[in-house]
Amino acid sequence: MSDIEQPAGELWGREGFREDPYVTAETLEEAGDAPAVILPLGAWLGLTEETRNASNRKIGVLVAPGESIEPLLPILDSIPVIALQFPAFNDGRSYSKAELIKNQHHFKGELRAVGDVLIDQVAYMLRTGFDTMKVNHAVTLNRLAGHNLHDVPGYYQPGRGSHTVSGTYSWRRVPGA
Amino acid sequence: MYRYDEFDHAFVSARVEQFKDQVERRLSGELTEEQFRPLRLMNGVYLQLHAYMLRVAVPYGTLSSRQMHKLAHIARRYDRGYGHFTTRQNIQYNWPALKDIPAVLDELASVEMHALQTSGNCIRNVTADHFAGAAADEVGDPRPYAEILRQWSSMHPEFSYLPRKFKIAVTGADRDRAAIQVHDIGLHLKKNEAGELGFAVYVGGGQGRTPMVAKKIRDFLPVEDLLTYTTAIVRVYNLNGRRDNKYKARIKILVHETGTEEITRQIETEWQAIKETDLKLPQQDVDAIDTYFAPPNLVQRPEGWSGLAAARKADHAFSAWVDQNVTPHKNPDYGVVTISLKPIGGIPGDATDAQMDLVADIAEKFSYDEIRVSHEQNLVLPHVAIADLRIVYDLLLTDGLATANAGLITDIISCPGLDYCALATARSIPVAQRISERFGNPERQADIGELKLKISGCINACGHHHVGHIGILGVEKKGEELYQISLGGSGDEICTIGDITGRGFSSEEIVDAIETIVDRYLEIRTDKEETFLTTYRRVGAAPFKDALYSEVANAA
Ligand code: HEM
Ligand code: SF4
Repeated sequence: MSDIEQPAGELWGREGFREDPYVTAETLEEAGDAPAVILPLGAWLGLTEETRNASNRKIGVLVAPGESIEPLLPILDSIPVIALQFPAFNDGRSYSKAELIKNQHHFKGELRAVGDVLIDQVAYMLRTGFDTMKVNHAVTLNRLAGHNLHDVPGYYQPGRGSHTVSGTYSWRRVPGA
Repeated sequence: MYRYDEFDHAFVSARVEQFKDQVERRLSGELTEEQFRPLRLMNGVYLQLHAYMLRVAVPYGTLSSRQMHKLAHIARRYDRGYGHFTTRQNIQYNWPALKDIPAVLDELASVEMHALQTSGNCIRNVTADHFAGAAADEVGDPRPYAEILRQWSSMHPEFSYLPRKFKIAVTGADRDRAAIQVHDIGLHLKKNEAGELGFAVYVGGGQGRTPMVAKKIRDFLPVEDLLTYTTAIVRVYNLNGRRDNKYKARIKILVHETGTEEITRQIETEWQAIKETDLKLPQQDVDAIDTYFAPPNLVQRPEGWSGLAAARKADHAFSAWVDQNVTPHKNPDYGVVTISLKPIGGIPGDATDAQMDLVADIAEKFSYDEIRVSHEQNLVLPHVAIADLRIVYDLLLTDGLATANAGLITDIISCPGLDYCALATARSIPVAQRISERFGNPERQADIGELKLKISGCINACGHHHVGHIGILGVEKKGEELYQISLGGSGDEICTIGDITGRGFSSEEIVDAIETIVDRYLEIRTDKEETFLTTYRRVGAAPFKDALYSEVANAA
């Protein structure tokens, strides 16, 4: 299958870099017999429930910033991975979607950021609920490899990967599970 | 006032260290200007016409003497001996060298200040009534809530890449001195019938190229819901605000295009989902922040009253200053002093290092160590005993800081315009200076009475011209600067956007045109008590347009 669209870049999560089991394709046909596929929202919604839940392959969904996540919310349990796009670093809609998907609707699967991931944004992404990032930015790759997250020692908001500290205000957190 | 704890110190120094690293990489050429741009903006560093500009946050406009001394020191050591106080209660330095900026940030951090979130598409420095904690008409001090919002919005992971910048203003009195209805969110602290504190919530105000007055979407929001409700508003905006056109990206456009009713429904729905989460404010936290803003222990100074009468009788200029620049304090033995940064013919908002030091010294001795920056580009001493007014006045007089024009026609707000700003289409400072000179006579301006004149050098409206009783907008037409006049704008509790009078005036004509308007007002006001704005609201634009355009037609 020569026309499988495989975005360049490496998959990174809190534990470090890892192999990406998923291929990205426009349609299921295009993906051939790949065992794990990510499809655009339109194509994904076009699948039958039976196909989506088929046990022999995982089918994740890719959502662009302008697309609504509403249709996914009632069926989050059946989705293995949701990839939210950052086509430009300054388009911040996917942060709010991450917050909704992970924290308000308790999505258990993998939430992934794909696109223009800058090093200064990685900590923000982790805190809004992203588990992984598909990174292709050279500087970002370098800094991640050097475990330099450009993070701060304390946060002024609740968020993932942080905990409360006693003796201070309710909205404050420090990094760490 | 609020004091940093260890948590705040660690946060700010980590940010300074990061920026140091980034500046070094820029200076060494590792980062291009383009790559450096978003990084410097996060630290308040702009590139202007002639140099980098550093914008330092003065949260809700409150400063201690020590902080003001530091601002003076920075002006002296790293700039050309002055700083510029802005309409967002911040201070800007126009000439720092990039290599020095990390050192400046270190100096700021040593007095618990920073330049974070003074630019970029994030939640900006939260502003508040500059008379907060002192004004006689106040229901509650808005600053504790501004401080809570400041903390919560600092490096907010979800809200750092909004469609556009986002400004929140809080006021604690019915008289709105913080122009909350021209902010993205305006909060009016008030009491309900049960005597509990809460906020009326306004959304979607703003100036710029499409000026809009905010819509009230909630009449009473309990204090405990401050952060959850704000989160709901900003989330709805972040998800739905327009990103296809920078001039349509502010929340005002979203509110306008969606409709107030529908946007309110969306916000309320989101709020219901998060109302009971971690962001619900415990009363003990509100109380803890509140104690930082506890009013100073004001000594009773009843002797001031008798002395004041005599001092006023003896010195007409002092008396005029008291009339114009001193506002009632909660404590009758005290007054709130406005220090005008609008000397006749001067640059609105500029202060020299020596003036800043002087103000800091006066505040330390006579105002319980507190200073405020007002959005009208003046400074305020919030707690001055009536008994000390004379000596404070004399001290201010030594360095040109006793101009008795607060709220008068020469108390002009002006943006930097073409003299500094890369986006400007016309000069604004020189126009402000010429108008100030024309109306500089103290008796004349006192006779004209309250009149807010505001000037912007382009449609971005940094000079708030839309809400000026008289607004002036500089535009460029066929290579010439042209000044458009609007009338009847107001940024207070009865908020209105000014009406444009008609064709603009050249740089030579503009001061005469303003005088024509003022003269017409003096002719038609019912008496001296009827201010320009009230008169305008009574008679409308017609008499002024007549005066403006028939006179010009006659002259031609
Ligand atoms: C000299 C450099 C400056 C630049 C490049 C600049 C740029 C801008 C721009 C582009 C806007 C429009 C934002 C929008 O479309 O929403 C704006 C608005 C504004 N600026 Fe400035 N500005 C400068 C200086 C200042 C100064 C010195 C002040 C204060 C005196 C100021 C206060 C404001 C305010 C209050 C607004 C209106 C915000 C609103 O729409 O509600 N700016 N500025
Ligand atoms: S109004 Fe225009 S000219 Fe004036 S400071 Fe703002 S952007 Fe510059």
